[in-house]
Amino acid sequence: MSLPRQIGSVWFWLTAALVGLLSLFLLYPLVNMLASSFASAGGRGGSGWGIFLSDPRYLTALGNTVLLGLLVTLGAALIGVPLAYFAARYNFPGKTLIAVLPLTTLVVPEVIAAQTWLMMFGNNGLITRSLGDVGIAIPSFYGWFGLTTVMTFIYYTYVYIGTLAAIRGFDVQLEEAAQGLGTSPNTARWKVLVPVVMPAVLASCLLVFTLVVGNFAVATILGGRVALLSVITYQAFVSEMGSDPVMQSTLASVSIGLVAAVLFLQRWIVSRGRYEITMGRGAKPQRLKGLSALLLALAASIVVIISLLPLFTVIAGAFTRARGPVMRWGEWTTLNMERVFLNAPDPIINTLIFAGIATLISVVVSTLASYLIVKKRTVLTPALDYIASLPLALSGTVLGIGLVMSFNTGWLTLTGTAMIIVIAYVIRRLPFGIRNASSTLYNVPNSIEEASISLGVPPVQSFFKVVLPIMVPSIAAAAILVWTTTVSELSASIVVYSGGKETMPIQIFRLIDSNLMAQASAYGLVLVVTILLPIIIATTIFKIDVFASR
Amino acid sequence: MVAVTIDKLAVSYGGARVIDNLSLMIESGSFFTLLGPSGCGKTTLLRTLAGFLDVADGRLLLGERDLTRMPAHQRDIGMVFQDYALFPDKTVFDNVAYGLRARKLSETAIKPRVGEYLERVGLSGFPDRRPAELSGGQRQRVALARALVIQPQLMLMDEPLSNLDAKLRVQVRETIADLQREAGITTVFVTHDQEEALALSDRIGLMKQGKLEQVGTPEDIYRTPVSAYVADFVGAANTVAIRLAGPLAAGDGQAVPFGGALVSARVPKPIGTGNAVLIVRPEDVMLDLPSPTAIAAVVASKQYLGGTTHYAVTLSDGTRLSVALHGPGHSAHAVGATVSLALDAAKVLVVES
Repeated sequence: MSLPRQIGSVWFWLTAALVGLLSLFLLYPLVNMLASSFASAGGRGGSGWGIFLSDPRYLTALGNTVLLGLLVTLGAALIGVPLAYFAARYNFPGKTLIAVLPLTTLVVPEVIAAQTWLMMFGNNGLITRSLGDVGIAIPSFYGWFGLTTVMTFIYYTYVYIGTLAAIRGFDVQLEEAAQGLGTSPNTARWKVLVPVVMPAVLASCLLVFTLVVGNFAVATILGGRVALLSVITYQAFVSEMGSDPVMQSTLASVSIGLVAAVLFLQRWIVSRGRYEITMGRGAKPQRLKGLSALLLALAASIVVIISLLPLFTVIAGAFTRARGPVMRWGEWTTLNMERVFLNAPDPIINTLIFAGIATLISVVVSTLASYLIVKKRTVLTPALDYIASLPLALSGTVLGIGLVMSFNTGWLTLTGTAMIIVIAYVIRRLPFGIRNASSTLYNVPNSIEEASISLGVPPVQSFFKVVLPIMVPSIAAAAILVWTTTVSELSASIVVYSGGKETMPIQIFRLIDSNLMAQASAYGLVLVVTILLPIIIATTIFKIDVFASR
Repeated sequence: MVAVTIDKLAVSYGGARVIDNLSLMIESGSFFTLLGPSGCGKTTLLRTLAGFLDVADGRLLLGERDLTRMPAHQRDIGMVFQDYALFPDKTVFDNVAYGLRARKLSETAIKPRVGEYLERVGLSGFPDRRPAELSGGQRQRVALARALVIQPQLMLMDEPLSNLDAKLRVQVRETIADLQREAGITTVFVTHDQEEALALSDRIGLMKQGKLEQVGTPEDIYRTPVSAYVADFVGAANTVAIRLAGPLAAGDGQAVPFGGALVSARVPKPIGTGNAVLIVRPEDVMLDLPSPTAIAAVVASKQYLGGTTHYAVTLSDGTRLSVALHGPGHSAHAVGATVSLALDAAKVLVVES
């Protein structure tokens, strides 16, 4: 379309409106933050960058963050890759259990994972104390030990899902061809399967790395004396709120840079790894028997049990009597639940309202944005495409700080409102929503819309009458995914929220901080149910494949 | 009466002029086919008629109406797509009724009309099925009914048969021909399949690189191609480069050099001295028939196809010709045998190269 025709079309203006909105709530806070990292820090001389480079505390935090990222990524790969390989190629007792693993990351929010691990292995933990009773002392869970363990068991599912998809898509005939050319089965596998699957493995590993860098909940709860970028960024924000925003901006910029660098690396690897192998015939899983089957089943069930541990713990914790921080395991009560529902239901109500509104907005915006990006390209489309994928490089903490800094005063004051929480939710989930809707739209041929138009229905109405109905199942799936990830959102909302606007994850985080694990478990249980219920309803009643496009 | 007037049309696509200075008139009620290889601009022209691509220059008229800048949804044109483009979430009935509902017809008026058109395409049995429950041929019939039911002033068909298997293709082709004749709707049909074009069309426009190379009836195009390109594209043809010693006037029975001898040929347009192309179809070459202008040749290969036999023969100057024989003794010539070859003078053409 020529430029004058583009400017005359409604799609151009819709794209412009979205670019404007995203510029205000995403680009502006980001630029604002980057700019203030270069401002001079009040009274300390030099810009934030000068302080960052001269104060060893900050450089140590950066080093720790990178090291933790590497350790967790390695751990996640060591669990995720073999598990995916064996799940794809072999049948063994209990294999069906592994199928639930992808669900666990979704259903168990990070804050609950951190909390339940503490309830088991913390200083006051059930397992720590039981082992202590028989004279075995385990190292303190706070610090490197806890951080790597918990994060590894949260994030290995990403490697598992990525690798599994790649191995299943791998055309086994390639391997057979290599064997036919005279290589032994093991060499053939090594030489043919590994190079083809490697890009997917690396890409999922890099994703894990970025998630570790941005992780707030586990890092803060279990960090102990290990300084991490996300934690000191949050601390800089809490202590310097309103007075000196330079350091928080600098630290936020550092983590943006780190994540952006890794994302570029990931993109490069993915683009190099395009071998177009999806048409292949996947390998038929081999049946394993005897000792190897037993060992494999044992290893797999250990992973599954550990992955599901948070779920069992939070249920047990919610119904266990507690006196202050002391859990009286074995003494059951419904008191915790009663207190949550009768005395302090506000976090539940807040979560439902904020996440509900955010999901609604998110679904509308991402459906519209993906339609504009995929089907109605104008000169503004690349801008929309780029800005909408920016949140991938922003951790929740960083986004939250940017929003608070930018909308603290002035013509649009949002700090202290519920609105800012909803905005943070919507922005964080935007890239996922758009990716989800786009994958459906790419499969809707343009001719369907054109058929409607040529039958006399104007373009905008054609979208509502023929394209939207086709998208409904995937929109529903997207809505559920946005809902589940939004109700458990912590890192951005804890930055932007104000008194009285606590959500469940924020309340849980504060209760963990006060060591009130039984109360935290009670909210945790409600949160898990809030997440699980829509998934169960969608998959069993409406037969929606929630994970189809994940 | 003229239904479609395309006047000095230019269309740009992705910065490049895909169609430039193209003029064409299509008779009311006729079946016009745009034929050509992929990338020749035939689909671009069709989509411009439909209103999905912008006119860069020139004019489009449908009857008296100026379509040049009219939005697609106001053009009153029925369109049938290669991938059927049925609405997957709607039933057969709702698909066909879609255009009528857009025209705000009452449901009581819609029902019998949809029923009538479903019957016409032979699908009255399943109004409640969804597209996924239909075969490819049935889907395209629904698409036909959906486009016809609005009784458009013009029907556009974009390779509607190319996703169907060979047998269905012939069936749906016949349906299309019957419906078009019955309804008398002016139709523009795009295809790269010369057999479809020959079988269906009143007239064919053969396109090459955004231009109309030749426009004519199927017989015109087949019997009197204006260039080696047209001859090659429509049916099988031997195109042999020859050199003319002097200019040739238009007319039948002109002597032209071929295979070391002189043969008699038709010259539709005068040609100057120098390079020219001789066109002869395989079925117009005869072997071992008594003829004063027989040329010696050797049989290089042979394919027996039952009713016909295809040969490749080599002349003494190295020219290779395809020959298709039928009738008694068509398979009698052995590979390696020397044969005498003659051309059917009325069917040999010489055109500019």
